[in-house]
Amino acid sequence: MTSKVNVLLVDDSRTVLEQLERILADIEDVAIVGLARNGAAAIRMTNESKPDLVLMDIVMPGLDGLSALRTIKSMHPGIRIAMVSSVSGDATKAEEAFKLGACQVLGKPFDVDLIETLIENVRGDRGAPEAESNSWA
Amino acid sequence: MGVKFFGQFLIDAGEIDASHVREALEFMEAQNPAIGQIAVAQGFMNSCDVARVHAEQRCRDLSFGDLAVEMGLLANQELVEILQRQRSRRIPIGQALVHLGHVASDRFGLLLDAYKADQAQFDVSDMKLPDGLASHRVTSHVLELLPRFMMRVARIQVKVGEIHVFDQVPEFAEVRVSVLLRGARGLEVALVSDIEFAEALAIQASGLLPSDLDPEMVADGVGEFLNVLCGNAASGLAKDGHRVEIGPPDYDAELCDGWVVDLAVGTGRAAVVLSTF
Repeated sequence: MTSKVNVLLVDDSRTVLEQLERILADIEDVAIVGLARNGAAAIRMTNESKPDLVLMDIVMPGLDGLSALRTIKSMHPGIRIAMVSSVSGDATKAEEAFKLGACQVLGKPFDVDLIETLIENVRGDRGAPEAESNSWA
Repeated sequence: MGVKFFGQFLIDAGEIDASHVREALEFMEAQNPAIGQIAVAQGFMNSCDVARVHAEQRCRDLSFGDLAVEMGLLANQELVEILQRQRSRRIPIGQALVHLGHVASDRFGLLLDAYKADQAQFDVSDMKLPDGLASHRVTSHVLELLPRFMMRVARIQVKVGEIHVFDQVPEFAEVRVSVLLRGARGLEVALVSDIEFAEALAIQASGLLPSDLDPEMVADGVGEFLNVLCGNAASGLAKDGHRVEIGPPDYDAELCDGWVVDLAVGTGRAAVVLSTF
């Protein structure tokens, strides 16, 4: 039996939230602990629910994903944050996300296999300090 | 499934992980000549100026270049030139990963070829565009990638047709969503359509049943498609060294000038409206 991975989804688009909910529903032992529509809500909900993984858009109105990533990592360095973005192919944006501590940058449209691998990595790494985790963090 | 940079491709292929990318980026930055060094080499600043900026940086949270400009020691145009030189001398991430031992040198060529093959599906040729659009390089990327992403995201076949000067809002434009692409030259990309097309796009993009759709969700689905299309177009352009920033969708786009691109679609009616700014 595998342990449940708690995931917070952050995107200003309801369409993307629906897509991610559908993809995650097909992966065993994943619980969605919240849906946030901007960076400020993501920070608040992370503080409240302490998810194992945050899947967060980069481009959002108000507080954007990179600013929220910086804040969440400073408060909760152990929480894995994967950025999702249509501009993930722009090396400057993706590099900035990695520098700020993102464990993955997923492009759009989504590749379901990559999301499954990401969840399994989080499941495997959970409990290990990020710096000591050798699989991908 | 979209445009990727080489480091991302290697992560997705399981060759490296995020910590390797971070290490490579740190190495690349350490190898990169500092802005002050280039400024001195170019004769824009002297070593005393550089020392003054460094001293000021101890109490100001500003980058060296921005501070030097603010202190009147460097002109804006000189900073742009320095940044271009710094970028052109940057070690590519693949070379950094090989140097650090995260990618074996004898596998590097193989992986680079696999990356190029994977990304060939997003190659864009030069389209014949009207004079006012031809200088907006992102236009070709948007229009050529549109049918490919429409098929991938929504399984809707689309053919890009004639481009003509905007004279009035198409009569079928019940849904009007746009995205701004800001760069050296700005472009507003609007997707306008009737409800039938927008609903078909939203259903496929979200996976919702038609009965679960509401008007906000329909517009959101069109907006998300535009976001995917324009984001990947911007990423493709970034590979050629041209940066474009993409804004969030505007779900009530005002259309008043520019060009209309006819779209032949199997479901409903749709067009793209392009405006420069």
